[in-house]
Amino acid sequence: MAKIIVVTSGKGGVGKTTSAAAIATGLALRGNKTVVIDFDVGLRNLDLIMGCERRVVYDLVNVIQGEAGLNQALIRDKRVDNLHILPASQTRDKDALTAEGVEQVLESLSSDFDYILCDSPAGIERGAQLAMYHADEAIVVTNPEVSSVRDSDRILGLLASKTRRAENNETPIKEHLLITRYNAARVDDGDMLNLEDIREILAIDLIGLIPESEAVLRASNQGVPVIHDEDSDAGRAYADTVSRLLGEDVPLRFHEIQKKSLLSRMFGGGRR
Amino acid sequence: MSLNLDKASMAFTFKGGMLPMTVMELTSADPERIREQLAGKLSQSPAFFQHTPVVLSVERLDEPHLALERICAVCRAHKLLPVAVRGGQDPVKQSAWALGLGWFPPNEGGRARSLESVASDEPVSVAPAAPVAPEATAAVASGSRIYRGTVRSGQQVTAPDGDLVVIGAVNAGAEVLAAGSVHVYGALRGRALAGIHGDAQVGIFCRELRAELLSVAGNYKRLEDIDPQLLGTPVQVGLRDAQLEIIAVT
Repeated sequence: MAKIIVVTSGKGGVGKTTSAAAIATGLALRGNKTVVIDFDVGLRNLDLIMGCERRVVYDLVNVIQGEAGLNQALIRDKRVDNLHILPASQTRDKDALTAEGVEQVLESLSSDFDYILCDSPAGIERGAQLAMYHADEAIVVTNPEVSSVRDSDRILGLLASKTRRAENNETPIKEHLLITRYNAARVDDGDMLNLEDIREILAIDLIGLIPESEAVLRASNQGVPVIHDEDSDAGRAYADTVSRLLGEDVPLRFHEIQKKSLLSRMFGGGRR
Repeated sequence: MSLNLDKASMAFTFKGGMLPMTVMELTSADPERIREQLAGKLSQSPAFFQHTPVVLSVERLDEPHLALERICAVCRAHKLLPVAVRGGQDPVKQSAWALGLGWFPPNEGGRARSLESVASDEPVSVAPAAPVAPEATAAVASGSRIYRGTVRSGQQVTAPDGDLVVIGAVNAGAEVLAAGSVHVYGALRGRALAGIHGDAQVGIFCRELRAELLSVAGNYKRLEDIDPQLLGTPVQVGLRDAQLEIIAVT
């Protein structure tokens, strides 16, 4: 039985897809058979971040509507063996997703995979609710700003009420906080919320902290999940996150200002 | 709520009455659309809009939450006086009460019923948007309610018959309501309404004041109106001379 993890946030543009791609890749790199599903029907992005946009033939909606088999729609990742992508449809909207259809897809994937990552669309409507409904765990992606924190708080409320586990009174979904775009210097200046404030408001366990990094934008545009960029701070932070997801105890990094020496500043050393 | 019969009955008597009442049947919850339509109507028949009392019927809407305060504001801006709400789910009912409006159940006249009888006939537990794991709440004597955990943005936790005790924080965008007092053993960042049926003897107590709105028996203060010195501190809130008073708890 696969573990189903939803990557969600409420707010758009906080790094859900980037995180889903990086974490799915990380899990696969660590030997877990992983599939990542794009639930953002109509605004498909995951295929771009994963660099497989030219290989999409069938998608999630085709499978749900019986127009294609699951194996026809699954795309095997070029870089990592154990990794598959199930893209969303770009020409449809979220109404094309049905609760039964999603359940069937997840059920059939469940027997073949160790991890199923659901990349949720922004918002709290149908698409987001279907993405979270069957989850065992949730990664709530939050930026260090008040609107993102409030939206994450709202999503946490939905996770505790509008999901299968909540409706059936099962063990609640395990909720993890993933803070992205963290810029320690701007936190220090008071431009961004600090780590402790976010943790205090959301009151859930922190699974990772991804520093704001040029590597993320570069990775997105190249279609290579940033976790492959092992020299980058963001890549390493995602690798830490995956380790924690797998139950390892990894100390937190990148939450304090990295003090650059005068020399490294002069010579532009210390890749960010 | 009990009626104070010994003194109060001298000053007035209760009588059932059937008054002509305009029902405003909403088919959209969007305050902007309502505003547009009202503006059009106002220019056609200005005589109708003379502080006319209206009952807002929301039976045909199936949203659990409505921006009731905005809809009311739009009505008032066009000289309609919303006096009550008919239909809608629990959060709508709670919001109506919080706004000082009456609430009528859907699909029946209900006009002869007093606010008190409506208020007491249904043991409301929690809004649909905010179900709580059963073990998270414990029923205690006299209709009080204990909620353990964080009340999150968009959630509403209600104790319609007594005090509400929250063991945790109330986050921004969340709402806690009680017929009695509201106690928050954590940061209060959302809205807290005590005495929602009009009891003025109750209060709001919290460990860390950051509330968006504090209301006791309909007298409210917004975050803006709160002395900044009190923010972040433990306080008690109560009514004194019909004014909301916030006092530091040391």
